[in-house]
Amino acid sequence: MNDPGKEISRLAFDERGADYLLAVREEYGNAGPAFVAKGEDVGDIRTDIPYQLVTILRKIYPYMEDGKIAVVIRRCEEKALNELIKRGIIDGDRIIRIGLACSEGQIEACRCTDPVPSCVDIGSPGKGWNEDQLSKELSAMSSEERLDFWVAQFRKCNKCYACSTNCPVCVCDHCVLEECTFVAEKGIPPGMAFHLIRAYHLSDKCTECGECERSCPAHIPLLTFRKMTNRDMKDLYGYESGDTETVSPLLTTLEGDLLEEEED
Amino acid sequence: MTDFKPSILAFCCNWCSYAGADLAGVSRLQMPPNVHVIRVMCSASVKPEYVIKAVTQGIDGVLVLGCHIGDCHYLTGNHRTAKRIPLLQKILDEAGIDSRRIKLDWVSAAEGEKYQKVVTEFVEEIRRLGPNPLREVRF
Amino acid sequence: MQRVGVFVCHCGHNIGSVVDVEKVVEYAKQLENVAVADHNLYSCSEEGLGSIKKSIRENKLDVVVVAACTPRTHEPLFRRACEQAGVNKYLFEFVNIREHCSWIHAKEKEAATEKAKRLIAMGVAKASLLTPQKEGEASVIPVAAVIGGGIAGLTAAASLVSQGIETHVIEKEARLGGLLNNISVIGPEFVETEPLIRRLKEDLERSPQAHIHLESRIVELGGFIGNFDIKIAEGAKTTDFKVGAIIVATGGRELEPTNVYGFGKIPTVITQMELEKRLAGGAAPSSAIFIQCVECRQPGREYCSRICCNVTLKNALRIIRSNPNARVTVLHRDIMSYGTTAERLYREASESGVSFMRYGLESPPKISEKEDGASVEVFDETLNENIGISGEIVVLATPIISQEGTAETAKLLKVPADKNGFFLEAHVKLRPVEFATDGVFICGSARWPSHVTECIAQGLAAAAKAAIPIRGGKVVIEAITAEVDVERCAACGNCVLACPYEAIEMTVIDGKRCAKVNEAQCKGCGTCVAACPNDAMQQKGFTTRQLGAMIDALIKNCKEEAVE
Ligand SMILES: Cc1cc2nc3c(=O)[nH]c(=O)nc-3n(C[C@H](O)[C@H](O)[C@H](O)COP(=O)(O)OP(=O)(O)OC[C@H]3O[C@@H](n4cnc5c(N)ncnc54)[C@H](O)[C@@H]3O)c2cc1C
Ligand code: SF4
Ligand code: SF4
Ligand code: SF4
Ligand code: FES
Repeated sequence: MNDPGKEISRLAFDERGADYLLAVREEYGNAGPAFVAKGEDVGDIRTDIPYQLVTILRKIYPYMEDGKIAVVIRRCEEKALNELIKRGIIDGDRIIRIGLACSEGQIEACRCTDPVPSCVDIGSPGKGWNEDQLSKELSAMSSEERLDFWVAQFRKCNKCYACSTNCPVCVCDHCVLEECTFVAEKGIPPGMAFHLIRAYHLSDKCTECGECERSCPAHIPLLTFRKMTNRDMKDLYGYESGDTETVSPLLTTLEGDLLEEEED
Repeated sequence: MTDFKPSILAFCCNWCSYAGADLAGVSRLQMPPNVHVIRVMCSASVKPEYVIKAVTQGIDGVLVLGCHIGDCHYLTGNHRTAKRIPLLQKILDEAGIDSRRIKLDWVSAAEGEKYQKVVTEFVEEIRRLGPNPLREVRF
Repeated sequence: MQRVGVFVCHCGHNIGSVVDVEKVVEYAKQLENVAVADHNLYSCSEEGLGSIKKSIRENKLDVVVVAACTPRTHEPLFRRACEQAGVNKYLFEFVNIREHCSWIHAKEKEAATEKAKRLIAMGVAKASLLTPQKEGEASVIPVAAVIGGGIAGLTAAASLVSQGIETHVIEKEARLGGLLNNISVIGPEFVETEPLIRRLKEDLERSPQAHIHLESRIVELGGFIGNFDIKIAEGAKTTDFKVGAIIVATGGRELEPTNVYGFGKIPTVITQMELEKRLAGGAAPSSAIFIQCVECRQPGREYCSRICCNVTLKNALRIIRSNPNARVTVLHRDIMSYGTTAERLYREASESGVSFMRYGLESPPKISEKEDGASVEVFDETLNENIGISGEIVVLATPIISQEGTAETAKLLKVPADKNGFFLEAHVKLRPVEFATDGVFICGSARWPSHVTECIAQGLAAAAKAAIPIRGGKVVIEAITAEVDVERCAACGNCVLACPYEAIEMTVIDGKRCAKVNEAQCKGCGTCVAACPNDAMQQKGFTTRQLGAMIDALIKNCKEEAVE
């Protein structure tokens, strides 16, 4: 498979019956998203995808009234896609998946624990990481130290909204974080509430794609924070984002397992 | 530290815990004057965002009180509360905000004494934890 | 900018003797948006209300804040006063400085005064953002449904029909009557059952307004007060109809003992219901031992079923009356013969030779089989020793437990049941026989084990309440509902899943997918509001900006205090 572009195009249009293909290609030395209709030249497709194609899919989807769209997806994008399908934002029947296994380098960048898509069409499956070093260090700290760490980090926030704009599962057009109903500080930086509310909102959706952290110009270790809250969600309710079946535990009833009421 | 006057917010649902708080009043049960009640229709309408807003700006503690599981005026409303708040507490802990500053409990309309106990013990707990460190932090 | 009026009440000494009301009024005057602040000795008195109304007009107030007692009792009163003075009743905010302040900080006058100030600042902050609301109206289908054809349901149905209201009775069994079908005489008054049930049945059968569905069960239920859609499976066929109100009268059943006191092994150990059948057939035993509180009032089933003691008294007397030499013993843990008639029954039973003996939960009677019946060994708490007695039969008084299928009924109707499986009414004192779900009512032993007289009274009460919307033809729809800001809604669907009443659905408005609240179905709990990530869902009267402003007011106060 020396030209992945050809293979992707073949899979999308010839084998799986897509009408369009969403992928990344190089043009004039730059990598950018490409939306190609069946029969058009797919160009120079790249597999080192620099952002979440699902984010782009979500943004163009409302304007695509019909046709099947093939998307090149890594494991995190597959999970994001599932979350969007589960919420009825995207119709799963219209999406054709072309699975891409992440390279070692990509896995490392995300400290990714779950790097292999359910169907690998391109690339070879790599081994996931066991843990995120920084989360481990933070968990070992005292509460005060942890607060100091995060206050110092969040002070760097420019309120550029890169984290939410580039997040595949952050679905709102109007964001409450842009207002001061809950986020007090009108200026920059926006304070703790901004980041805590985002953490809460993402707790039942985040796929740990790491896009927020990569796009943050202030280098706040946002992915680490996500990994920590995802682990909490798993510990509490056994929930992991990323499939089309499981409803977020935050929306359902206790179903018998009552919160332990303190005896008194 | 002796004159630390905790500022505490309590969300009480209209049907059980607010009524329980009323009963505590009617029964003249005495308790520390640090807790300020916001009446909501159901504990399930308490947005975690409110709690985050309050603690990140220096409120020393937040109580979320609702009907006992099974008694929610809105059937399973409080089941959601029972799921959201523990998660919120974990998130706050991850950020270094002591989750003991947030307390979820159930107080029925008949439990004036329990209300008194919850309030008194929570104020005690907050006194032990001291002022919210975020009171002083300027971003 | 809103012109807010603040009225602080002394409540005589109740508030005034702890909180420095004048000081609080001075404080309120300088709060943002406050146009006028005043105090009353008793705000809720004719005079107090009059002065508030006068002030509203004179000061052209937009919003009214009353700092006094609790909204749970007094809100309607002040809202009415606002309305009378031309202010929408939702432009009113209650601040509780009695139950939540003066009464609970009686010895800390200064701290209580400071707290009252903060509470008022919070109230004013919310009040400044209040918006007028209009209560909706919906028409009511003039038909009722009664689920369950026992004495409670039949009474309710007959009452509705006699008021000219078309009524469906949905009974799962092949005959009407419920528990009473096997009980020939009703205590404590010794009333014959048969004519009672027959009369009710005849009333219904004669009326063209009544539809009796036997061997029927509800399979689907949708809608809301005034407009419920019901689908029932009636034998093999299904029928659909619409009703405006529903009465639940599904009753209860007698607990079948599990492996206690030799039940199932010793043939002479029987249940109360079995005894009823035998007595109806005319066979009275020459001796009987009743054991009360079998498998209830004990860990696992704590409640008292209330009726069993009176049933035992009734049946003990029936035995004695038919055979004055019969030996009847009642082993009990306490006798619950409430009411004067029942108390008289107890006295009559004691005087006619029924012996009552108390046993403890720790030392239950022991039963063994005998040739002509059973013998019982029991530790008599009064004599402090073990006593042996024997009887032709041993009757186990077991409690009434919740009807099978209660969980499904509860789910279909979206109404709550308690941990014992009995239905929970909206409020025992303030809203008896009503569910919190509008248009659904409850009566009889489905609510709690009840005597026949109580079932009848509740059946009549439920019918009276169900008739209100039906006769009125219209219902007012709660204004504190949720509403979606279509522009903002991201169509994430959180609210749809979170709503306990399934009141929200996804629709398309102007080509945009978004959530839509069915106002008549929404109960205004706000569960969806908390589930909405981007504040598109709001609860009228409790918007996130309003509550946010309250929090801000407290934060401001705590920051100022820190500076002091
Ligand atoms: C042994 C015994 C003796 C008693 N003796 C006395 C006495 O002497 N004096 C006295 O005052 N009380 C007595 N009681 C209590 C009294 O009989 C009951 O409390 C009363 O009859 C209950 O009436 P009800 O209409 O609420 O319920 P029920 O009589 O239980 O009727 C409920 C009806 O609803 C039907 N149903 C249930 N679920 C559904 C469903 N999902 N769909 C459709 N239909 C449904 C049932 O089939 C039944 O017909 C006695 C009880 C027992 C067990
Ligand atoms: S890692 Fe960041 S960008 Fe990726 S899904 Fe989670 S929150 Fe969104
Ligand atoms: S307020 Fe409650 S009942 Fe109304 S739509 Fe929201 S969740 Fe449902
Ligand atoms: S939760 Fe909010 S954003 Fe999501 S569908 Fe409901 S109203 Fe819209
Ligand atoms: S109404 Fe009290 S918790 Fe829901």
